[in-house]
Amino acid sequence: MNILENVKMALSSIWANKMRSFLTMLGIIIGISSVIAVVSLGQGGQHTITGEFEKIGTNTVAINVNENNAEQSDYITFEDVRQLKEKIPYIRYATQIVRVQGWASYGTNTKMAIVVGGSGDMFRIENNEILYGRIFTDIEYEEGKAVAVIDSTTAKKLFRMEDAVGMTMDVGPKTAQKSVTIVGVIKSAYDMFAEMTDNDYIPVVVHMPATTVSHVFSLDETASQVFIMADNKENVESAGNLAVNLLENRHGNRGRDAYKAENLMKQLDQINTVVGIFTTFVAVVAAISLVVGGVGVMNIMLVSVTERTREIGIRKAIGARTGHILFQFLTESVIISCIGGILGLIFGIFGAYGLGRLAGITPHLSPGTVILAILFSSAVGIFFGIYPARKAAMLDPIEALRYE
Amino acid sequence: MIRIENVTKVYKTGAITLTALNGISLHIRPGEFVAVMGPSGCGKSTLLNILGCLDRVTSGRYILNSKDVSTLGGNELASIRNREIGFIFQSFNLLPRMTVLENVELPMIYAGVPARERREKAIEALSRVDLAERIRHRPTEISGGQMQRVAIARAIVNSPSIILADEPTGNLDSRVTEEIMKIIQKLNDEGTTILMVTHEPDVANYSERIVRMRDGRIIDDSPVQNRIIL
Repeated sequence: MNILENVKMALSSIWANKMRSFLTMLGIIIGISSVIAVVSLGQGGQHTITGEFEKIGTNTVAINVNENNAEQSDYITFEDVRQLKEKIPYIRYATQIVRVQGWASYGTNTKMAIVVGGSGDMFRIENNEILYGRIFTDIEYEEGKAVAVIDSTTAKKLFRMEDAVGMTMDVGPKTAQKSVTIVGVIKSAYDMFAEMTDNDYIPVVVHMPATTVSHVFSLDETASQVFIMADNKENVESAGNLAVNLLENRHGNRGRDAYKAENLMKQLDQINTVVGIFTTFVAVVAAISLVVGGVGVMNIMLVSVTERTREIGIRKAIGARTGHILFQFLTESVIISCIGGILGLIFGIFGAYGLGRLAGITPHLSPGTVILAILFSSAVGIFFGIYPARKAAMLDPIEALRYE
Repeated sequence: MIRIENVTKVYKTGAITLTALNGISLHIRPGEFVAVMGPSGCGKSTLLNILGCLDRVTSGRYILNSKDVSTLGGNELASIRNREIGFIFQSFNLLPRMTVLENVELPMIYAGVPARERREKAIEALSRVDLAERIRHRPTEISGGQMQRVAIARAIVNSPSIILADEPTGNLDSRVTEEIMKIIQKLNDEGTTILMVTHEPDVANYSERIVRMRDGRIIDDSPVQNRIIL
């Protein structure tokens, strides 16, 4: 008696009770599909976050002024940034990041704008793709020239075209805007998202030399955040420590904990850990529904054994051994669970993509997850099938033959 | 062929003990056609179950084909049922979801016969009971007489040395009874040993030897005087 024979027999008996078999599978389908959806969305989310971070660069450290106990004199000056780059050999790029809310207009087209000030290193650290023109030069930064780099979404919103190089727009506080020239257009980070939600409430983004920003918005030449990028992975930690050291020396605020260096990779690890824990937790909850599905399989198999007592008696009378009967019923429960598992997998993938579209996450389905899902559903079939199958196999042939 | 010596079978349910067989000895030679008769409750079904290796003796010995089977385990008995014994039941006991052909193939599945050979042997067995057509039908689509012929084909397909028939014509009318008995007599002529339980004297007369039972004992064992030969 081979496996093929068993599978054929099991399939015909599953087919004979189509509706019941399907309802039994439903438990497994729901269980597996929710596990698949949750896990692939979780992994997709991790991938998205990792991608964002990796774009910024794994060697990047953010140094923030500790806003809780900062004094005016603690803020990072533009001269500090220059010193950081000059004095610390591990640092390849350094830029302050100044964010100001303002307005950008082209003709009568006025948009709310986030104006980001920094040096040209800002683009190098973020590894932006330049679509048209160029990023601003060190000289333009030093001299506070009225130049700007915008992303393609901003270009489309403001100028109704992507290649806005050479155009001028007015940027600044609503009542005192100054004219700046676009020197470059970079690829927008949230291109797809922005196109899907093309509304005026989302501000446009304008990158300008930090010096120019201070001038346009009449601000001090200070920043609360500096990004530095080390020359290689080994030096990230030291670069951060040396930078904080240098800042503390220059500001004479050692021991006050005025600056915080954060390795973005470390942050990424933390976020990934949190997302991972959360995914696992939800997956475990979903897996419980799989166990409920397994109990359903057991329930139906017990009914099936009772219903087919006479069949079991006949099979035993004509020579079926205990193992034959055991294997027959076990095959049936495993096939029910496996088909449920495969259907669950399919529904889970569809569900993940559907939910992912709503949440803006591209689901990620690893082959390991797929294999695990199938193996797990088979295991459910075996685990919950063994008791009914044993019960069938142990039936006394005489009693079973007499059963009406 | 079949030899049982001083066999007893006692059923215990709680405080009640029931002696179904009370020291029975019986010898059946190869090629014999024996009918077992007796009122209900006389122990003839119990005897059939023991001879069919479906049940075990409480005491005594059962020797089948010079092998003592009274001490064998469940799976060994299953093997013997599969290869040495063919069952024919009053209610046919075919599996309703399978076709006629699949029903006849079933004992060979458990014997591990390859699919191709199985099909050939099943068709051969079906033609021996004059049922070469309708083999793709399900048992519910054929008549009672045809169902019993399928059951006989299933019983003989593994070439057993003995066929045990439990009231094989109990559910059939007299015309069909004659048909079935003719087939059984033919099998017997071809050398198969047959033991048939019945309570109808007419049917018992198709055999060559009648064993009468009462209260778990054999009270008479004699050749048939006016045997009907079809």
